[in-house]
Amino acid sequence: MRLSHGFVRGETLSCIYHGWGYAQEGNCLRIPAHPALTPPDTIRVATQHVEDGDGVIWISAGEAAAPPPRLDGVAPLRSMMVEANVAALEAAAGAKAAGGLLDHSNDGLTLRLLLAPDGEARTLMHVLVGEDANPTERIAASRAAETLRRAAERIRSGGAVQ
Amino acid sequence: MTRNAMIDEWYPVGLASQLDAHGRGTALMGEPIEVRCGEDGTAKVTGGNGRVLPTCIRYGHVWSSLGDPKKPLFAIPEADQPGRRLVDVGVVRVRCSPLRAVENFLDIAHFPFVHTDILGSEPHTEVQNYKVEIREDEDEVWATQVKFYQPQAAKSAEGGITTEYMYRVPAPTCSILYKTCPPHPGEWDVITLFVQPLAEDLCDVWPWMALFDDETPMTDLIHFQQTIFVQDRSILENQIPRLLPLDPGMEIPTRADLTSVAYRRWLKRHGYTYGAQLVAQ
Repeated sequence: MRLSHGFVRGETLSCIYHGWGYAQEGNCLRIPAHPALTPPDTIRVATQHVEDGDGVIWISAGEAAAPPPRLDGVAPLRSMMVEANVAALEAAAGAKAAGGLLDHSNDGLTLRLLLAPDGEARTLMHVLVGEDANPTERIAASRAAETLRRAAERIRSGGAVQ
Repeated sequence: MTRNAMIDEWYPVGLASQLDAHGRGTALMGEPIEVRCGEDGTAKVTGGNGRVLPTCIRYGHVWSSLGDPKKPLFAIPEADQPGRRLVDVGVVRVRCSPLRAVENFLDIAHFPFVHTDILGSEPHTEVQNYKVEIREDEDEVWATQVKFYQPQAAKSAEGGITTEYMYRVPAPTCSILYKTCPPHPGEWDVITLFVQPLAEDLCDVWPWMALFDDETPMTDLIHFQQTIFVQDRSILENQIPRLLPLDPGMEIPTRADLTSVAYRRWLKRHGYTYGAQLVAQ
C-alpha cells in the first residue's frame, strides 16, 4: 500500500492497512498489532523535501535548486489523473507547457494546469483558476479540464483531436 | 517450462443455485470456460476448446479444474451439520492476485483500520501470539488460538467481544475461517473465501458461510459480509506489487503475520505460483 492512502494524526503519518505510524523523519513509531514493541530504527520509509505555497504542496525530486514557482493570482481547483502523457495534453490544448505549467483557454476562461508526469503514460494534472473566479466559472473550469483530459486520452489511444 | 501446479486444483466457477441451461461464460486462469446445467440436471463445465472439464457441486458452488484433480474437493464437515444456515454471499470481482485475496483474508491486524468499528477498533489493535502450522497429513495451513477484540464480530453479536478464530488453507485459493459463535458457545461459525482465479491479477471472490443464526434475515447476513469484503477490495486493488511476493523482499513481517508467512512458504513448496512473483523487486 502507498502511504498516500493513509491518514495524518498529529505529526504522524499512518498507513491505511495496518496503521503503522511514521514520524516526519521516516522512521516507524508505532506498530499497532504489537503496541509494546519499539519499532527498530531500520523500519523506515523514504522522505521527501516538502514546500507548501499558494495552496499547492510541492516535493522535489532530489536536491531542489530553487524554491517552487509562485502562482500569483490563481487558486487550486481540483486534481485529476490523466491516462496520457504531457505531449498528448499539449496537443489537446494546442499549447506548450513551460516549467510544468500549461495554460489552456476555453470560452474566455483561462486554466493553468500544473502537470506532474507519473511514468510514461499518465500525468497528474492539478487545475488552477483565477483566485477571484465565481462558483459558476469554477464549475465551467472543472468541466473544461475534464474535456481536455478526454481529448488527451483520445490522442493517446490514436484517435483524432476534436 | 514447468507445469503450473495449480492447474490440477479445484476452483469455484459459479453458484449452484444460479445454474441454468442457458449457461454462463467465465474464465479460469486465462482460459474462457462455460458453466451450465446439463440436460441430466448436473453441472457441465467446458473449456475454451469445448473440452469437458471435471465438475462437482459442493458448499453452494460449482467447482471445476483445467487439469486433472488428484484429490476430491477438500472436506468441510461443518457444512453438513444440522442447524446451520448456509449463506451464498455472491461474487465480488477484484482486480488483484487470487493469492493476495487469500492472504488478506488470513490477516487480522488490519481489522481496526480497514473494518473500523465492525471487526476491530482502536485502541484494541494488539494481535496476541497464536499458533501456526503446516499440517503434513492434511497438507493444509492452520492458524489456531487467534484472538481479537471485535466491536461487532457478527450480525448476531451485541456489543464488543473477544472473538477466537481458527484459519485453515486447504487449497491455494481457498480459505476457511472458524469463528466464535455468540449464540452457540462451543460451536464455530464457518466463513469461507473461495477464490476463482480469472487471471494472475484478477479474481472473482465467492464468500460462503455456514452459521448458527436463526434470527438475522438472509439479506442482512449477505450485506454484512459484502460490506466487509468491499472494504477489503479497496486495499487489495492498491497493493504493490500486484503479484504476491514469495521471496523475502521489501516487506517486514512481524509476529502478527505468521499465518501469511506459512501460507507463502506452503505455496512456494508446492509450486503454487499462479498470481505470485518469485524474484524480489
